[in-house]
Amino acid sequence: MEWLTDPLQFDFFVRALAAVVIVSVLCALVGAWVVLRGLSYIGDAMSHAVLPGLVGALLAGGNLILGALVAAVLTALGIGAVGQRSGLKQDSAIGIVFVGMFALGVVMLSRAPTFSTDLSTFLIGNPLGVTPADLWSALGVTALVALILGAFHKELLLASFDPTEARAIGLPVGRLTHLLLVVIGLVVVLTVQLVGTTLSVSLLVTSSAAARLLARSLKKMMLLAAGLGILGGVVGLYLSYSLDTAAGATIVLVNTAVFVLALLFRRRE
Amino acid sequence: MLGVENLTVRYGAHTALEGATVRFEAGQFSAVIGPNGAGKSTLLKVLAGLLPDPQGCVRFDPGHTPRQCVSYVPQQQTLDWAFPVTVWDVAMMGRTGRLGWLRWAGRADRQKVASALEETGVYDLRHRHIGALSGGQRQRVLLARMLAREGHLLLLDEPLTGVDPATQEGLMALLRRQADRGRAVVMVTHDLDQARRWCDHLVLVNRRVIADGTPDEVYTPHNIEATFSVSHLGHTHAEA
Repeated sequence: MEWLTDPLQFDFFVRALAAVVIVSVLCALVGAWVVLRGLSYIGDAMSHAVLPGLVGALLAGGNLILGALVAAVLTALGIGAVGQRSGLKQDSAIGIVFVGMFALGVVMLSRAPTFSTDLSTFLIGNPLGVTPADLWSALGVTALVALILGAFHKELLLASFDPTEARAIGLPVGRLTHLLLVVIGLVVVLTVQLVGTTLSVSLLVTSSAAARLLARSLKKMMLLAAGLGILGGVVGLYLSYSLDTAAGATIVLVNTAVFVLALLFRRRE
Repeated sequence: MLGVENLTVRYGAHTALEGATVRFEAGQFSAVIGPNGAGKSTLLKVLAGLLPDPQGCVRFDPGHTPRQCVSYVPQQQTLDWAFPVTVWDVAMMGRTGRLGWLRWAGRADRQKVASALEETGVYDLRHRHIGALSGGQRQRVLLARMLAREGHLLLLDEPLTGVDPATQEGLMALLRRQADRGRAVVMVTHDLDQARRWCDHLVLVNRRVIADGTPDEVYTPHNIEATFSVSHLGHTHAEA
């Protein structure tokens, strides 16, 4: 049992465990919509697209999270607008907006006098470096996201399953998509900073995709995604501790293995 | 109850429908019939308010606000049947418009959904994943959603496609009952025989309204030829 209790003597390990649990729940709430609406590419794209916001905040001496949030909201609205006005598929809209935003960030960065280590920490993230303040803000964002998605659940469900009927009864399908994109942006900004890009995308996409293979309803899919995310996070953290490997990447590998298992044992009706 | 006057719909340079004037009444089971590309689904979408700013008029009679009274059943192939929803979830979607924003379904909504599922004969399948059902069962679930919506105007795009003949009979009888209860039912279909047997109002369309009236008035060799470019015996002009 020592392998189980030994790591718990370190505060950073306990905080990392708490972080992956919270982030798994948060990503499960949003990840279901990401997977169902074909937005899997958005997690990775959004984590890059926040760069101009970060650099802008850095140059202005402002709050990095606030800068990233502004960039995430602009990216989300930009993707929604390009997708709707051009008639292009969502993945093309995501690609166009995200490289544009990322390039803007790089250009802004080249005008910055020095490269800050704050910035690289923010972009890369590390579950073992989580602070108590990070955990509180993650809890706050999780509650906010749960509130927003819960409030608009039935509208999002109809607009995703049958957008034609949703429009016929007068739902603003385009605005609901914008709302979803903004919420995804909010989640990506928080989770990337907390656990890193790779793990953030893995929790957003891999766990939810595995859950989709096994669940018959959206509620079960979200619960299962959260459960699988937590399982992968806890197992991955312990593995990384005993094998002395990078924590984020180890959790991602466990999540990928869970997905492969789900694929093998999926329900065939 | 609802009509279009001198309606023209163009997609770019293509004219889908030109100068169409037709009226649909409460208590009437109407079928819009025509070949592929004739503008049938376009007419249905205009009635559902899905095409913004068509040329011409769409008139609802006083007392019927379109959004409150329309229930639209799309073609089956437009939906993602792998979506993680159960039969019950899909039927409950019919209550979304009635409930409005920031309101949850209550006991009365659940009762309405249950009776809609019972009426369409799929209540016992309510816990099943929608993707696990046959084509006919899926259509019944979509009809249950339509009933749960409690619309006065029911619009159905090709409800008989992909459904076996026995189930088709059941679906048509169900739609007939809705019309008999005072709802206006408008169905787009290719199936002239089913439409003649069950509907009391036929509209033949081929980019314009060819004929509009009771089955006896509409079902003439001349109208059928003008609509499908075939004789009523099924031979094309070229074959004849």
